[in-house]
Amino acid sequence: MYTVVHQPRRLKLPARLIPAGTPAHRLAGYLFDDELDRHYFDKVAEYSYLPATAAFRELARRGWRMSIGFSNSFLLQAERWSKKVLDGFKRLCASPNVEVVCVEPYHSWLFYVDIVAFKEAMLSARKRLEDLFQKSVVFTDTTEMFMSNDVYFALQQCGFAGAFMEGRDWQLGWRDPTHVYRHPMQDLALLPRHHQLSDDVGYRFSNQAWSMWPLTPEVYADWVRECWGDVVTLGWDFETFGEHHRRDSGIFEFMRALNTQLRRRKVRMLLPSEAIAELGDSGHEAPVSEYGTTWAGEGGMEFFLGNQAQQGVFRLMHHAYSKARLTGDPALMDLAKWLLQSDNLHLIQWFGRSGSEAEVSAYFTPSEWWELGDLGIIREQQQVYLNFIRALDDLAK
Amino acid sequence: MNLDPRRTVFVILSFEGPDVYSQAGGLGVRVKGLARSLARAGYLTYLYFCGDPDLPGEEEQEGGRLRYRRWCQWISAMHRGGVYDGEEGKIRDWNSSLPPSLIENVIAPAISAGNHVVVLGEEWHTSWSMKLISDALYYRGLRDRVVMLWNANNTYGFNRIDWTGLNFASTVTTVSRYMKFRMWEWGQNPIVIPNGISRESIVEADPQVVEDLRSSAGADHFWFKIGRFDPDKRWLMAVSAAAQLKRRGNTVKLVMRGGKEPHGAEVMNHAQHQGLVVRNAPGPPDASGMAALLRDSKQADLINLTSFLKDSLVMNVYAACDAVLANSGHEPFGLVGLEVMAAGGIAVTGSTGEDYAEGYRNAVVLETDDPIEIVTELSVLKEKPRLVAGLRKRGRATARDYVWEKVIEQLLLRIDFAAARQAVTGPEEPQPRAAARRASRATPPRG
Repeated sequence: MYTVVHQPRRLKLPARLIPAGTPAHRLAGYLFDDELDRHYFDKVAEYSYLPATAAFRELARRGWRMSIGFSNSFLLQAERWSKKVLDGFKRLCASPNVEVVCVEPYHSWLFYVDIVAFKEAMLSARKRLEDLFQKSVVFTDTTEMFMSNDVYFALQQCGFAGAFMEGRDWQLGWRDPTHVYRHPMQDLALLPRHHQLSDDVGYRFSNQAWSMWPLTPEVYADWVRECWGDVVTLGWDFETFGEHHRRDSGIFEFMRALNTQLRRRKVRMLLPSEAIAELGDSGHEAPVSEYGTTWAGEGGMEFFLGNQAQQGVFRLMHHAYSKARLTGDPALMDLAKWLLQSDNLHLIQWFGRSGSEAEVSAYFTPSEWWELGDLGIIREQQQVYLNFIRALDDLAK
Repeated sequence: MNLDPRRTVFVILSFEGPDVYSQAGGLGVRVKGLARSLARAGYLTYLYFCGDPDLPGEEEQEGGRLRYRRWCQWISAMHRGGVYDGEEGKIRDWNSSLPPSLIENVIAPAISAGNHVVVLGEEWHTSWSMKLISDALYYRGLRDRVVMLWNANNTYGFNRIDWTGLNFASTVTTVSRYMKFRMWEWGQNPIVIPNGISRESIVEADPQVVEDLRSSAGADHFWFKIGRFDPDKRWLMAVSAAAQLKRRGNTVKLVMRGGKEPHGAEVMNHAQHQGLVVRNAPGPPDASGMAALLRDSKQADLINLTSFLKDSLVMNVYAACDAVLANSGHEPFGLVGLEVMAAGGIAVTGSTGEDYAEGYRNAVVLETDDPIEIVTELSVLKEKPRLVAGLRKRGRATARDYVWEKVIEQLLLRIDFAAARQAVTGPEEPQPRAAARRASRATPPRG
């Protein structure tokens, strides 16, 4: 069981004009909306972080084993706004039944624009997590569970023992997602997420139109038990518990009972590092796609780059990063990395689209933005990037 | 490419194989014959198949040149209904466990020893593993040392094949021009390499045994039909033809050996409704047993044999009867027809994959599914004994052209083509030793 805890650093919309001569340390105030972030952080803390960490602590005491990844984006917000939330996670992660997983700290597409900087970011994220939780971190995720050939080798160079990846049919072919894999002839172990079983809980649990609703722990434990292979990897947003599925959906009771039902069916729970140590010598190979896979949408990058607005922002992300590099200023480079955050593409997936994926995207779009209208959101979001790039004119001389 | 038997290793991948447990149709017979013939030609040959769970996982034959590798036995132990019982689980196990084992234990050592390796996959079940083996070889830097061919023996499972991946990994072949045309429907243009028969199947039946069987049958028309109870085999057409002859006042003895398939009940029901007297009997152990059964079944028009028949008995029956009805409506190759020819019998084939059959030259080739066609053709043959003798003689000559040794010659030539398409480079040829140079007598001594 893997969950990732993340809160985005949201852009400030509508975009604010950045006055000429604004010093680097004041630029962030024009780009990012701390107030909005605080609002959503508090909301999610109340619905999810506090009750879910308490529930999982209780489960961990009863033998439940899970792993948790933290984006630095979340950790910074927790440090600023809620020691209680952070303490809750620290206490949870102190359990020997919980493993801390490294996540790309900016929750960004940094690997697309600068793979070497990505490696540095992963190494610093690992150190930060080890310092914060006082545990060794050997397993990793990236951003949106992205995995591609170059990212695989970057993570291997970083010295991680294993990583999560999405386990879609089109990526794995005949292979079941229920084994520990390696890219041929390489060392870094891969645990593919079982997307159907994961999405049964992650997306469909409270969908009353779903033929299997209400999902019972007995049925779900049977599905897990009946899986062919060695290991079932389930991956969710941590916010699934209490926020995506509210308390009254029964999600907490479900997880508590699931622990019992899995035990009854003799399903052992393993930490990711235990899984690869125990099952990683089976010789299963899965060449990692050069195009990359992610746990969002259909598993490819179409979810993030499927419409023209997303492609426009993606280009601006590159330009913003390149312009910041020209300044040589680490503080500006850091801001550019925040601007690479994947959420800025996730939040506009709905543009020109309809259907369940667009609904998911729109769900994550701050409701405060909708008063700008569809086109207004797209225009103002791009304007944030344009303003940043132009503000660096003097600094990049 | 020099496919010298001393420097070439063949690997055959097939769900069906030589074990009784592993045989369901022509594929098991094919791989058994092909593997044995390759080994007898001197090639080290590995045959991976879903073997009998009670037999050893590894077994050597032909003085160690033929090596059986029985796969998925732990699943077969729980699915004892034959090779395709537990099929989906076997596919998964095959895909996940066979490629790494094959590469590490067979292919990589063979290449290190300077050998060529040829991998032959059979049927849709192995299509994924071909791609996996190709991928794994690529990542080990060995893909350019292995020729990979995948063969379609039937149209089963075509909807599940990733054709793009399979074509990328291997050269696709099939067993007849009919199959080639059927595969055009799937956007494929395979190379045709025919099936073969073993040299041992070309036999001269004992005339006394043949005569004994014929006289015991004691009918105007003595026919035999063998195969699965599958509508494609046109059992109903054969039964209807027998019934028509009976209604015309002829005596008919139609001996049938089908399988356990449910269509069998339909066939028997149809026979009784057509007015044929049916007798069900276990398969006799030998020709004298069969003769006794025939003598004891004077009243029966149709004898349905309900258990296994030995190859030797089948060959005698092929030779003895007036016609063997291999009248399928869809036959990828039609091995039975060729085996009938090899035994000196009269094969009545359909007109799909039986490339070897030529009407009135070496067989009776049916063009329709109308029972009257069988009645007419076989009634005419009764009046033309010289034509019948010619068909038997030329049939046997045809069979000789399809013995595995000759088919393997074609296969080896096709492997060259496949190797060129797959950019396979052979191991370095051993360099001829340079002739020792002698000092010219004219060379003045130094110093």
